[in-house]
Parts: sequence; C-alpha cells; structure tokens
Amino acid sequence: MRDYWLSKLFFDLQDPAKATEYRAGRAQVLARYELEPQVRAAVESDDVAFLAQRVNPYLLRFYFLVAGMSEEEFLRRIRATGAAHG
Amino acid sequence: MAELAGIYAASHGPLIVRKWDSVTPAHQQALSGAFAELGRRIKAARLDALVIISPDHWVNFFIDNLPSICVGVGAIHPGPNEPWLIKEYPHTTLPGHPQLAGHILETAFDAGFEPSVSHRMILDHGFCIPLMKAGVDPRLPIVPVVFNDIEPPFPSVRRCYAWGEMLAQAIRSMPGDLRIGVLASGGLSHSIGEATMGLIEEEFDRECLAHFSKGDPGALCDFLTQRLPQVGNGASEIRNWVAAHGAAGGRGFELINYSAVPEVIVGCGFASWNPASR
Repeated sequence: MRDYWLSKLFFDLQDPAKATEYRAGRAQVLARYELEPQVRAAVESDDVAFLAQRVNPYLLRFYFLVAGMSEEEFLRRIRATGAAHG
Repeated sequence: MAELAGIYAASHGPLIVRKWDSVTPAHQQALSGAFAELGRRIKAARLDALVIISPDHWVNFFIDNLPSICVGVGAIHPGPNEPWLIKEYPHTTLPGHPQLAGHILETAFDAGFEPSVSHRMILDHGFCIPLMKAGVDPRLPIVPVVFNDIEPPFPSVRRCYAWGEMLAQAIRSMPGDLRIGVLASGGLSHSIGEATMGLIEEEFDRECLAHFSKGDPGALCDFLTQRLPQVGNGASEIRNWVAAHGAAGGRGFELINYSAVPEVIVGCGFASWNPASR
C-alpha cells in the first residue's frame, strides 16, 4: 500500500521552490501534510527502510536526493533493506 | 494514407546526461555511437511526425489519478521539465501533432482501448533524452504516449503488444501523405529506489533481446510476463519496446547496440524495426 500523504509530500518536492523551502526548514512544510506520527518521525529521522515500504521507489529515491542525502549513503541504506522490487 | 516509416527504441537513463562525465570513454563511445546511428535512421526516414512511447516519471500524474495509457493531443508539449536537462536541451516546448493524436485516439476507442487524454502533456527526460542525444530535429511534431511503467498495477505485456498493433493500424489509416515513426523510450534492466538499485541484469536483457530478434510475440510476452516481476523495477519500461514490436507486427527487429553501463545504472539498448519486413 502507498501512504498517500507521504507520497504527496515527495511528489510535491519535485517543485524546486518547495524543495528549497524544505531544505531550509522541514517542520513548516511537513505541517501541511496529514502524516501519521510514525511516518513523520521516519521522515524526520531519514528512515529509508521504513519509508521504502510506503512510497513508490522512484519517489523515494528522488526525495532523498532533494533532502540532501548523498547517493552513496542512500544506496547503502536502501540496499540494506533487502526489499527488492517494491 | 500515411506510411509507418520507421520504428525505434532507445534507453533514456537520466545519468546519461546528468553524469555523462563519469561515464568511461568506452561506454561514452558506445552510447554516442548508438544514439548517432539511431538519429541517422530517424533522419533517413524523413518523418513528418513521431509517436513516442515513454513512462511518466511522476511529472504529469500522481497516485490520485494515474492512467495506464495517456495520449498527448496538444499542439505543443511543455518540456523538458527537469532543471538539469533544460541546461543541455534548452527547449520550453516541443511541437505536437493534434490531428495524428486525435486519429490515434479515435482508432484506439474503435478498437476497444480507452486511453486517457492530455491536452498539455509535460515531456520529461524519458521523451527528451532520446530526442536530444539522437539529434532529432526539435521541429519534428511528436505525439507523446505515456505508458504507466512506474507504479503498479501495470498494463499487461500482451495489452502493450496489442496497443502497438493498434497504433500501426492507426498510422496506416491516417489520411494524408505523411511519413510517421514510432519511438519506444526506456529499459532495459535497471533498478531505482530498491534494494537492488544499481544492478544491471545483463543475462535478462540479452534473453529479452533474443526474444525480440526471434520475433515470436507469444514467447516474448510469456517471457516478460513471467520475468518482469522478478527483475529491477526499471525493466518495466520494456513494455514500451513491446508496443513497438507490436507496431512492427513482431518482425524486423534489429539491435543497434546493447551496453550494460554501470555508470548510468542501466542496461542500455538501442534498436529499430524494419516496417518493410512485414
């Protein structure tokens, strides 16, 4: 299943202006999305494994690029999930 | 009536542009040579319009409204949209062909297909990278067709083949003395945002290409229906190649180049079909 509001957040951050705002301060952007507490906590803690179960993999990869995680670190974390072909 | 003057396929991995400088000289030569040959064939076909089948990478559609297939009918199409691609391919719009798009839609609905319609379809890298790298004249009118290769549920492989057959029928019944091409964009194996990210499944790719070469649509569809769920998610874009194969009547496949390119994390494939071999 997809988490709608998590997916919507990641989708919306494709807008460069929104991405800039997000990088400047996540809290005010996250407040606009009806994220469940554990989902919001996973976003705030960059919990790749948790989030990977709830969004499309393309959006997941894009999000962590926008959020500033290095490609190497993202690869390390996503490969550690062992959850292929989600 | 119009003529189906050429059928083509090409990979479109973003890193082909974004990280070109990181690609080894040997792979740069392979990719550049493949795109150049593709461009030469497209130019030689003297096309009046080009139908491009590509996925939408979360640009036009979201999970609140996600069509399986959508036809762009606008007179212009905005794009590319990605900032990193605009630098290399500085176009704000590319021309459409509303008459051809409308005829494809009419033919589709008559044939039992119900594609969605976009009057302003944004062209992301899936459409623009093959056009740019192959040096296709940006004034060539295009009809963009989105196949959902990104988010399940996907159109079945057999449905994609049938869609290609219908597309050829639409082109050949299009009034006017037009030369029309079809370009499938995407594939071959790659994995994005998954535990297997970066993995290129070369054995799968080569088996897949062998099926295209053999031309047996049933065997190809069986193979892909079974194997696509087992390989990286990006391979789903081979559905677009299947539609091209359907447009060619399952014949005339010619591989231009296949290169597994780790630097762009894609098994890169380039091909054309000879419509005259029908």
